[in-house]
Amino acid sequence: MVAKRNILFRKNYLQILIIYSISTFLISIFAQNVDKSPNTCNCQLHGEVLDNYTKKPIAGALVIIKGTKKNTETDAEGHYHFEKLCHGEITLICRILSYGTIELTLNLQHDEDHEHNFNLSEEEFHLNHVEIKAQKIENINQPKSLINEGQLSRLQGQNLGEILKDISGVSSLQTGSSISKPIIHGLHSNRILTINNGIRLESQNWGSEHAPEIDPFEAQKITVLKGASGVRYGADAIGGIIILENSPLPDTAGITGQFNQIYSSNGRQIVSAGRLQNAKILKGGQSLAVRIRGTFKKAGDISTPDYRLINTSLNELNYSATIGYKSNRIISEAYYSRFNTKIGIFSGAHIGNLTDLNEAIERGSPLSIYTPEKFSYEIGRPYQLVTHDIFKLKNNLKLANSSLQITIANQNDSRTEVDILRGSRNLSQIFYLNTTNFETVWDHAPIKKLISGSIGLNGIYQKNLTTGTLEKPTSASVLIPNYRNLNFGIFAFERILKNKWEIEAGIRADFRKMQVFRIPRGQQSIINYKADNQNLTGTISGNFRATDYLNILVNFTSAWRPPSVNEWFSDGVHHGAASFEKGDENLSSEKALNSSITINYERKIFKSEVHIYHNSIKNFIFLTPTGRPVLTIRGAFPEFWYAQTNANFTGIDIINTLNINSLMSLNSKYSLLFANDITNNQPLIQMPSNRLENSLKFENKQSYISISNQYIFKQNRIPTKLIIKTIPKEEIIYKNFGGDYTSPPPAYSLFSLAIGHQFYLKNKNNISTSLTINNLSNIKYRDYLNKFRYFTDEMGLNCTIRTSYSF
Amino acid sequence: MKNVLILLFGGIILSISSCKEKEIEPTEENELITTVKLNFENAGTVTTFKYSDPDGDGGAMPNIEKINLQANKAYNLSIELLDESKSPALNISDEVSEEADEHLFIYTPSPSSLLTYTYGDKDSKSLGVGLIGKITTNSAGSGKLKVQLRHQPPVGGVATKNGTATPGSDDINIDFDVEVK
Repeated sequence: MVAKRNILFRKNYLQILIIYSISTFLISIFAQNVDKSPNTCNCQLHGEVLDNYTKKPIAGALVIIKGTKKNTETDAEGHYHFEKLCHGEITLICRILSYGTIELTLNLQHDEDHEHNFNLSEEEFHLNHVEIKAQKIENINQPKSLINEGQLSRLQGQNLGEILKDISGVSSLQTGSSISKPIIHGLHSNRILTINNGIRLESQNWGSEHAPEIDPFEAQKITVLKGASGVRYGADAIGGIIILENSPLPDTAGITGQFNQIYSSNGRQIVSAGRLQNAKILKGGQSLAVRIRGTFKKAGDISTPDYRLINTSLNELNYSATIGYKSNRIISEAYYSRFNTKIGIFSGAHIGNLTDLNEAIERGSPLSIYTPEKFSYEIGRPYQLVTHDIFKLKNNLKLANSSLQITIANQNDSRTEVDILRGSRNLSQIFYLNTTNFETVWDHAPIKKLISGSIGLNGIYQKNLTTGTLEKPTSASVLIPNYRNLNFGIFAFERILKNKWEIEAGIRADFRKMQVFRIPRGQQSIINYKADNQNLTGTISGNFRATDYLNILVNFTSAWRPPSVNEWFSDGVHHGAASFEKGDENLSSEKALNSSITINYERKIFKSEVHIYHNSIKNFIFLTPTGRPVLTIRGAFPEFWYAQTNANFTGIDIINTLNINSLMSLNSKYSLLFANDITNNQPLIQMPSNRLENSLKFENKQSYISISNQYIFKQNRIPTKLIIKTIPKEEIIYKNFGGDYTSPPPAYSLFSLAIGHQFYLKNKNNISTSLTINNLSNIKYRDYLNKFRYFTDEMGLNCTIRTSYSF
Repeated sequence: MKNVLILLFGGIILSISSCKEKEIEPTEENELITTVKLNFENAGTVTTFKYSDPDGDGGAMPNIEKINLQANKAYNLSIELLDESKSPALNISDEVSEEADEHLFIYTPSPSSLLTYTYGDKDSKSLGVGLIGKITTNSAGSGKLKVQLRHQPPVGGVATKNGTATPGSDDINIDFDVEVK
């Protein structure tokens, strides 16, 4: 009965989706012939296209007036010029080789209040001077989604994993509500790279309960490259890349900055964050700039609709400083940041063995001792203590017609996991990872205004320590062994921009030298294990701008990932998961080939983005049950092996926006994923289910109100077959072949509400405030991708008030 | 050019500073119980039955001895927990005894008619611990004896041990084969 109702519900949803899509499409067709009233067409528009960072003019940029056939190219000084333009609103599109496409909307009218960029010429022509500031981007033709500063400010206060869920195709792997790891198109952890202000974040990201060590306040813009994209940043980027970027340092004198204050009712979370920056102009076009930033976060025990969860508090203290020097020939930046967090892990999810886990599942909700009446900010055992330091030096040298960028960075990741132990014992596991990154990229001068490109080299030297000193481990009972890792890659990219076409191709060679130092179980001597891996990857993509409202991007990319140390050497009970996990030294590298097509259709009334992808991964490494028990002092645990298979990830992300009128808009996002183990012909475990999100928004220049619904379907695609064939039948006792302990939770539907207002003060200062209410109807639900779904419900109603003062 | 030199120099200092050898002290390790000894004493004779897994979880299978008892007899039972991977062996029962308020042994025979267990010790709140106790066998038969150690540490400063198995998690969960003759 319940199942039947679910199907009906789903059918309804699909119908609504189809009707909505058709109707919005029709509206958009009929809406083409509006706003064409005759007008005085005597406006002039000219300006320059500049590199936002170096402030140098860009030659050969294509400037188009949207909706018309008018277009022009910038000259050697970066100038462009239009005349005989009509009054009213126009949108400029600027496309440049190796820069992102920029859109600017201006109002061509004589208006005395608009002092900026607008003048009347002596000939009584309406003249507008507009500077286009182009931001250089690294990988232009990769399918990507963006969270800009405005969107980010409405999501701040949450952790990175939660913020990124705003992007269609991105979900998160959670451990309770405080630990959240982003999943892009079904892939996570080691298969995703995070680039934090130009540096590849290196941490213990193999663990599903190890969240990225990043303070989202450190970024003003977050870009997610979807799908395999390893050519620019190196191995591992099979699933995608998360790029966090700060805005460039100021180059005009005067203190500017921002202060943020955020309060959330659930867990009584307080977040204070601030940023201050200033610049000093020296003689000869030189300037010095400085920026400091800090975030303090404190959150207490969070509540589900029915009960409070003990020991789910967290503390965070992050800060960074940047000093920059700029002249006509060189831009240098020194950056230091520290991320510090202490996260309590819900004590009710601490289990000793499979029996404990099964009892918790059967019980349905945690014991009352784990759900106290009294609220607390206290963090007891178990907890995680994580610090991450980054020190970075970045230099940009201007050569005759090209530029050279050199970056050196060192990062320290230190993680301590303290479990519930007897007596005075304190430490459970310590992980310490030191990484030195080196990168140099040479952007060559554009060839015939047609071809631009870069050649680069990057290297990583890494030392991981869990016991003793690097080459002399003292204990065999560690989760992952000590290792030394040397990674080296060279790459080249070339891009051609011609009329409506933009074609990009890249190639990369990677080498990895891994040396592992460990004491095998039950032995005294140290074994030195060495592995060398190398691989060649490539990418080719074509972007076709059919009309100014239709853009098609086709992309083929390969990527690879050598096995990580835990996949080779795991050999023990994974406590949180009640499983015995065994690695395999003979695992080979994963190789991915990703194909995708992205279609963007953009009209005033209707906007749509459809992204279809197919990621085929050879030798995909995953944990699979053997069906056999491993007997330990805490009873029997189901055995899991790291195995390899060929897997396919096929899916579609759709985003539709319907601008009903100038105030009201309807936004829908839909993501669908089929993740299959094709060798064994069954779905892969722990993959995001399909999701649909709708939001209705009323917005004018200063205020907005939006109501959203998120519908997460039940994951019905789970594995059912045992794939390891070498286990004798009589040894198999666990018949739950999928490797899960209970069936996936039912579908759920969440409502949220957001209201915001921006106050403009004098001297460009402003205050923005907002109120967001998540899980508005305070429903009880569990998510398939939360490891704690066996133990507790998800967070209940949560009201967040955000205030931000910019000056 | 001067700047480039400064930065290169800075880079070298940076890499040198990261070269100094770091060490993680092995003083506090993961706790491990390799051996559980059940000492049955009747009329001055002590018989010991042992669970032992010297290489810890995984690797070689643990060895679990079969418990042989006489019918209709009363035994004094004491339990010993050791970590024999260290030398000298670490006595974990002492730690349990020190923290008796957050530990509870549970002895479950199956079938339940096989034998009965009574606690011989109490913690500070008069709840049983189970480091020592009494086992009384009934008529001859065979079955299993499940020995569990429930670790029930306080949560948020509030004691959780209430004399039942429910709170906490298993530190030990062993099924011994039993034969009563």
